[in-house]
Formats: sequence, C-alpha cells, structure tokens
Amino acid sequence: MADHFQSLASGDEPRALNRGLWARRVVMAALAAIPILGLAGVLGQEAHTSSVASEGVDVTLRAPATLRGGLLFQSRIVLTAHRHLEHPRLVLDRGWFEGMQVSSITPDPQSESVQGDRTTLTFDALDAGTTTTFWLQFQVDPTLVGRRPYGVEVQDGEVPLARLHRTITVLP
Amino acid sequence: MDLVLRTAIVFVLILVVTRAVGRRELSSMEPFDIILLVVIGDLVQQGVTQSDYSLTGTAIVLATLAVLSVTTGYLSFRIRRLRPLLEGEPIVLIADGELRRRALRRQRITVDELEAEARQAQIASLRDVRFAVLETNGHISFLTG
Repeated sequence: MADHFQSLASGDEPRALNRGLWARRVVMAALAAIPILGLAGVLGQEAHTSSVASEGVDVTLRAPATLRGGLLFQSRIVLTAHRHLEHPRLVLDRGWFEGMQVSSITPDPQSESVQGDRTTLTFDALDAGTTTTFWLQFQVDPTLVGRRPYGVEVQDGEVPLARLHRTITVLP
Repeated sequence: MDLVLRTAIVFVLILVVTRAVGRRELSSMEPFDIILLVVIGDLVQQGVTQSDYSLTGTAIVLATLAVLSVTTGYLSFRIRRLRPLLEGEPIVLIADGELRRRALRRQRITVDELEAEARQAQIASLRDVRFAVLETNGHISFLTG
C-alpha cells in the first residue's frame, strides 16, 4: 500500500509546496489590492467636490468621479449668485445624461433644451446674494463604460458666467 | 468603499450564524436546508451588491471574501485561542464505550442518529465503539477496538 506514496514522498519538495505556494501568495497579494483600492475610493462612488468662482456666480459641484454599472448616485450643484440672474441656466456636459437614467432633478427646471451635445436646464430668476442647491439623482446604465466630460457651465440667458470642468469614469 | 465594508459585515454575520446554528445542521443538508441556503444566498447578494451590476463590483466582493477567508484561516492557524471561536472544537460523544448523553443532547443528536452514522461507518453496534467524536466539520469519527 505504501508503494503508492513512494513517488510522492521521494525526491524534492513537490511543486505545490514551493512554486505553487509562491504563485498562490502572488495571486492573494493581487486580490488583496482590490479591496484596498475599493477602501481608498479608487473603484467608485466616492463623491468629490469641485468649485469655481467668477464675478457673477460661485459654483460648487459635489459628485462621484468614478462609478460602476447599475449604481444609484447623486450630484449636487450649489450656486451662489453675486448679481441678479434673470434666466439662470445650467449647461451640463454630455456625461450627465449619456447612459444615465435620470431619477429626479430638484428643483424642476422651467425648460430644457440642447446646445450641441450639452443639455441646458433653465430655472427661475435668482436674486443677488442667494444660494441655491440643485439635486440631481441618476442610475448608471449597466452597459455604460468609459470616461466622459461631466462639467457644468452657468449662464444667465446666453451669457456664460462660470464653467467648471470635471470628468466621470464608469468602470465595467 | 461601501462594497468592501458591506462584504466584510456579511462575512462576519455568516461566520456568526454558522457557528450559532451548529455543525450538525450544516453537515447534514435536507432538501429544505438546501432551498433555505439558496434563498439566504440570494438575500445576502441583495444586501451586498444592491444595484451594482458591474464586473468591478463582482471583483471587489470576490477579492474581499478571498482575503477575509484566508485571513480567518491564518488567524485560526496562528492563534490557538481563536480556533474554538472560528472553527469550533471536536466533541466526544462516546468515551471508552460510554455514551455521553449530555454532549448528545447539547448537539441535538439522538442515539438513533448516532447508530445510523455508525452503520455508515460499517459498525454494526455502538457497543463496538470505543470513541465517537463529532468533528468540527460536522462529521462523526468512530474508533473501535
């Protein structure tokens, strides 16, 4: 009976105990890197804040920079008007709507239109010194992948007041 | 980040539940237990991945589970005191031919079940058994003679 184990017991250490072990360690180290990246927020949904200030208006955008397919997420735009804005407009880059399911936009815009591949939302007039927060809720299309512009431009009528550059990356 | 944390919480929850339910229940799966297991798996998946349909999300969950599983195994291997907590301890059901009825009662094992296990180990009678041990994986080892 012991003869069956002779070939296993004799000779050098089996490959499972040397090369195999190191291969497993390398794979485990690579696997361990994934949750570490996840905890660091590299793999998605951690919100980042970007701001831009101009003479007419201050704009702050808080939104995730990286997402994954299917995720529900929120973007928040805070506008502080330094002068009266009769026709305040948010002009959103194509990344806001391309492959995104819109859950809600609060407050509701008066009207929606397009400028090239950008979407324009027009709101009620804002008095000088007022701060308004816009909430936009979305869900990522599960098949969407890649990086897209996610900037926002604030206009009063046709006049550009401030532009904030951002991108959004959707991981497969 | 939330996906890693949710996976870690579910891992600990499953560990606690499996330790609390008892090893016999988990080693002998009846059809009802198998269906329950599938239902639990589905419920756990909803809690962990929620609306995430991405490959990245799947990779995060799998990698987190692998790391937690290896870490638990390593801790159990290195720290003797953790072993009963993580894996449990063998429980002697028959010692020197004597049935330990208190141990049987606590593990919810009847003498009939013990006899059935003995028959599966090619042992005709419990009188032939010197030791019977409920192992940490839920199986019963018999020593005769």
